[in-house]
Amino acid sequence: MSEKKQLSEDILLEEVTSAEYKYGFTTKIESDTIPKGLTEKVVRTISAKKNEPDWMLDYRLNAYNAWLKMDEPDWANVEYEKPNYQDVIYYSAPKQKPVLDSLDDLDPEMKKTFDKLGISIDEQNRLANVAVDIVMDSVSVATSFKKTLAEKGIIFCSISDAIKNHPKLVKKYLSSVVPVRDNFFSALNSAVFSDGSFCYIPKGVKCPMELSTYFRINEAGTGQFERTLLIADEGSQVSYLEGCTAPMRDENQLHAAVVELVALDNADIKYSTVQNWYPGDKNGKGGVFNFVTKRGICHKNAKISWTQVETGSAVTWKYPSCILKGDNSIGEFFSVAVTNNLQQADTGTKMIHLGKNTKSTIIAKGISAGKSNGNYRGLVSISKGATNSRNFSQCDSLLMGDKCGSHTFPYIEVRNKSSQVEHEATTSKVGEDQIFYCNQRGIGTEAAIALIVNGYCKDVLNQLPMEFAVEAQKLLEISLEGSVG
Amino acid sequence: MGLINEIKNYSDKKNLSADKRSALDNFLENGFPTIKDEEWRYTSLKKTISGKYSINAVGRDVTKKEVEKHSLGLKHKIILVDGFLISKPEIKNISISAYSEFISNTNEALEKLNYSLAKNGYTISVHANTTIEEPIEILFFNTVENNFIQYRNIITVGDNSQVKFIEKIQNIDCDNVFVNSFTHINCESNSKLEFNKIQNNTPNSSLIDTVDVFQKKDSVSNINTLIFGGKFIRNNLNFEQNGTNAESNMNGISVLNKNQLADNHTFVDHKSPNCRSNEMYKGVYLEKSKGVFNGKIMVREDSQKIDAFQSNNTLLLSEDATINSKPQLEIYADDVKCSHGCTIGQLDKEALFYMRSRGIGKEEAQAILTYAFASEAINNITINKVAMLAKKLLINKLDVDLDHNI
Repeated sequence: MSEKKQLSEDILLEEVTSAEYKYGFTTKIESDTIPKGLTEKVVRTISAKKNEPDWMLDYRLNAYNAWLKMDEPDWANVEYEKPNYQDVIYYSAPKQKPVLDSLDDLDPEMKKTFDKLGISIDEQNRLANVAVDIVMDSVSVATSFKKTLAEKGIIFCSISDAIKNHPKLVKKYLSSVVPVRDNFFSALNSAVFSDGSFCYIPKGVKCPMELSTYFRINEAGTGQFERTLLIADEGSQVSYLEGCTAPMRDENQLHAAVVELVALDNADIKYSTVQNWYPGDKNGKGGVFNFVTKRGICHKNAKISWTQVETGSAVTWKYPSCILKGDNSIGEFFSVAVTNNLQQADTGTKMIHLGKNTKSTIIAKGISAGKSNGNYRGLVSISKGATNSRNFSQCDSLLMGDKCGSHTFPYIEVRNKSSQVEHEATTSKVGEDQIFYCNQRGIGTEAAIALIVNGYCKDVLNQLPMEFAVEAQKLLEISLEGSVG
Repeated sequence: MGLINEIKNYSDKKNLSADKRSALDNFLENGFPTIKDEEWRYTSLKKTISGKYSINAVGRDVTKKEVEKHSLGLKHKIILVDGFLISKPEIKNISISAYSEFISNTNEALEKLNYSLAKNGYTISVHANTTIEEPIEILFFNTVENNFIQYRNIITVGDNSQVKFIEKIQNIDCDNVFVNSFTHINCESNSKLEFNKIQNNTPNSSLIDTVDVFQKKDSVSNINTLIFGGKFIRNNLNFEQNGTNAESNMNGISVLNKNQLADNHTFVDHKSPNCRSNEMYKGVYLEKSKGVFNGKIMVREDSQKIDAFQSNNTLLLSEDATINSKPQLEIYADDVKCSHGCTIGQLDKEALFYMRSRGIGKEEAQAILTYAFASEAINNITINKVAMLAKKLLINKLDVDLDHNI
């Protein structure tokens, strides 16, 4: 046993060291990209480079052909210059960042942010890509995680590996929740996705840890077109965290990810996201376009809970949804979306009630500051067969400054007489009396705002795994810095 | 498409002015809105416009008896038959005349169509500093079967004036009439307007009713929409507040059964600071009826200190009834208080049980609770005769005999 452990440690050690080493020859790696633009040849090249089986190539080509016939959606309440899809490189070797000699070389602004978030030095090194000796501690942690997961029969690997090693599962569930033709971006993603995560929790297994923890240590850049497929078999349970509170600077302007969750009978999935992509500078220059399709399907008695804290990206287009197919299934959506400067977010959820006695809860909190615009767009659809269903939605918006905007677009469709739907939305600003109250007691205006905002978001932050809740709270403070006055 | 061709044929024969021609071409380019159009996603015009229609046809006169039968019996009556003004009251400081051409700068397809084809309607101007105590009844009678008709109306309420209207469209000896009505209302400074729309037409009638209200400072406008009869009803109610301290209030009640469809689109554009809006729409849907509600509140940049409230409550009383609701807020100013609430549900089972355990029959108990549900909106109507009529129609529609007089 210990030998095995030693071995896997060695492999990991080697992997990491060689990876670090490779970064030294950046020019060489950069040559391993394919020309700009998207053609059938490019799709074939991507598939070939990844040594994919034929069915996967067919899948990609099918998606590519569907994409050609689709138009980019323009119904969202956001304005941006549409990317030129023929000016994007669709395959490149893992993301590269300049290697720093020590944290002292790091952009002081970035360092300040790290400190404020309370991220440990080790992790700071990793996130900032500082060339350091391997931190033994985290390696051993990672390997022990791997072992625990394997013992339980949990498959957790990259989607490329899953295509090779678990083709049956991938074939069965890939695009079962988000069809290839679902929308423009999902078709694009299906054609060219570079990599992503695959997770399978076997019957009756309770995942012993937040998969987030593992993620934070092992996660490498997954690139522009990320694909995630998470399957919770009957009676299983898992909590998964995607993203990171640390600011992510990325050269790729366009991100079009697809996340699919499958909760079989009695399964329970909790999916949390903290998104902090580069939002562009104060004048709205640069910044990431985040166009994500996230959807989960609940079978009988299953539950899917989405929690998201969105603070980054120049433009966000994202609607994590639940299809409540099975009777008694439950869907939840908790969201905090913060926009500052010139950021734009159009985000919300869809709760599609198909089964009997299905329940859904939506709590969406928007905060707009600077010249930004935040939108909540949601759908609650109760079909004829979804008798005795229940929905509660609450979307609140907080406005800071007189140049920002906050909008709500809820769609409610009910087709039977035994269901109940409640929806409420409010828009207001941080009360002057509240700030005055804090000022009076010696709390500065900025700190007072942070306090009030945290209180306002509490319902959502409470849903996050502990360590991220703390970081997310600080992240809110940072995102709203300088928006007062 | 039947109606589109009729419109083309009709307009080819007419000598339209350049403006009207360009508006019509503009309409014909895209035709009638379809469910692919965001504002029409839940409401399909397909069936309505596939029928065979004559356009702006004129029929017979109506008798005094017929007028009496359909009027609320108020002193002041404006009567229009197939769109033509045939009778008007003489009231001091108020001028009433037939249709006069005016341009509106909306971009709605149906408004463009209305502008290019309209020949009928009314023009009302209430002079400044006039208070008219007695409400004015406006009765539109249609007498031609399979007619597609445009009403184009304009109301101006002068500075410091107060006036109340009740508008009703009634088919006589005909059923399938498609009305496309457009009403432009100017509320001048410190004026007060109450406008009641009673929509209780024959079972196969179709109606698209657009009302645009433009408000100046300190003005108050109350628009009440009561929907009971008709097959297809689409209301577009738009307010534009162009002065401080303006107030817009709207109440709506829809009680539908059979295959009826009622679509209420409201839009309040808060363009000035220190304004208010209150909106309450109640819907009761029986049998296979379908309801649509789309309430939009827009607060423009620099329109600070806005209070905007909106509520939409729906009772679905049948397995086959449908409601699609879309309350919408677009806020570009920070010092505002805006909220919307939307509920969809059933009658409280415990309340029903309470009544039944005291010997009140099931249907009657349901009716009492439904009545209570709708009353909140009915109670905002200040004209007693209109409120009473609404109550009566509600009870009739619920098909119960309440022996006590509510």
